[in-house]
Amino acid sequence: MDLQVLRWMGEAVERTTQGQNDKRERVVKASRDITINSKKVIFQVHRISKSNREEVLEKAEKDLAAVTDQYISRLVKELQGTDFWKLRRAYSPGVQEYVEAATFCKFCKTGTLLNLAEINASLLPINDPSLEPLQINVLDYLLGLADLTGELMRLAISRISDGELEYAEKICRFVRDIYRELTLLVPDMDENSDMKKKMETMLQSVVKIENADASNSWLTFLSKPSVCSSLQEQRLA
Amino acid sequence: MADGGAPASSSSLVEKQFEDFRLHLEESGSLRERIRAVAAEMESANRIMHSSLLLVHQSRSVPEVLEKAKGQIVVLKELFNRLAEILRECPGQHYRYHGDWKSETQTMISLLAFLHWLETGNLLMHHEAEEKLGLDASEFGPDIEDYLIGVCFMSNELPRYVVNQVTTGNYDCPRKVLKFLTDLHAAFRMLNLRNDFLRKKFDGMKYDLRRVEEVYYDVKIRGLTTNDDSTEDQGTTQA
Repeated sequence: MDLQVLRWMGEAVERTTQGQNDKRERVVKASRDITINSKKVIFQVHRISKSNREEVLEKAEKDLAAVTDQYISRLVKELQGTDFWKLRRAYSPGVQEYVEAATFCKFCKTGTLLNLAEINASLLPINDPSLEPLQINVLDYLLGLADLTGELMRLAISRISDGELEYAEKICRFVRDIYRELTLLVPDMDENSDMKKKMETMLQSVVKIENADASNSWLTFLSKPSVCSSLQEQRLA
Repeated sequence: MADGGAPASSSSLVEKQFEDFRLHLEESGSLRERIRAVAAEMESANRIMHSSLLLVHQSRSVPEVLEKAKGQIVVLKELFNRLAEILRECPGQHYRYHGDWKSETQTMISLLAFLHWLETGNLLMHHEAEEKLGLDASEFGPDIEDYLIGVCFMSNELPRYVVNQVTTGNYDCPRKVLKFLTDLHAAFRMLNLRNDFLRKKFDGMKYDLRRVEEVYYDVKIRGLTTNDDSTEDQGTTQA
């Protein structure tokens, strides 16, 4: 009995717990680094204004490429085969943040949505061709998109205060599209409690942009010379 | 006007992608439902096996109890192979759905391990569990972690078994169980567990051990243990 148990032990340790725990920790660390650096990219994009657009986006794209090369590639090395799903909880936050940064950059540059297929294609060069390539899964992509709308809301508000109303309206349309599409998908997602929470936040973001747009067009309306004078006349009367 | 055209085309592209996502998610959703259906059947097979195993506490003869419980192994074997069949449709996504059959596997391992212990007095090894279920380890088998949790569940059953055996006059049982549990506990202590469910279950094992120790102590102090079996133990306690 003793011997048997000890042999079993050795086997079990080797095959799972120790090695698996170390690996999980390394994946969590990689995920954290991806999160931090993706956030930096997002902050960089928020520096955008009418005058420095090109320059800001160029820097942001360079930073994003650095995140891919340095940190996503580390994750790729750790995750092979079935570990994609096994360790998903460990890396999901980082990947979501990365999706958020990548789609944010893309939207600011072209006004379109970066597809999952495009992101995954961009990850192929850092994958070892002999191994199963790391592909971001639909769930993490959708969770990342949900976060993207929060950033777009902040962007829209700052654009409005900068006087770029048309741009803000474009953002608004885009965010509405995403929200509408996601509404259809939420019920089908695995473990969708996270997503449900994000949907509520997303709706708030949509409403905030709409309100900002509305109050702004109201202000624009009021500041029209004809409206101004008619209001003054009313007050005088 | 050009401005009006651009968002329209981009939003149709957006729609296309999300349509694909929906198909993908619906597909994985229906796969999950099939897995859950199998898991539900596993659960009921577990239940039947558990209820027949419970008869050992009522001093039925062990072979008779085992015979009945073993009938369910065939059922479980069939179910696990059906599960493996379903999972073959989504290679590499084993762990995406793992949560759906995890607890059933743990319960099943605990029952199989208890049965095996009653039969042989040894611990059911992971590969033996795989063999019993007719699974190929390289492809699909019970997760090591689920196996370990199942073994912890089995240890929960032992104190009650010991007490009932003593009641029926089997005074040698506590010594055997104590030896087995002590070894098992020592083996688990060598594992470097992370702070999760398995760790919690392992922490509970020491209470099982303590209860068995108490029963053994009672039996021993009343001089109910047979002498030839306890000579070796007396040596160690006096030292």
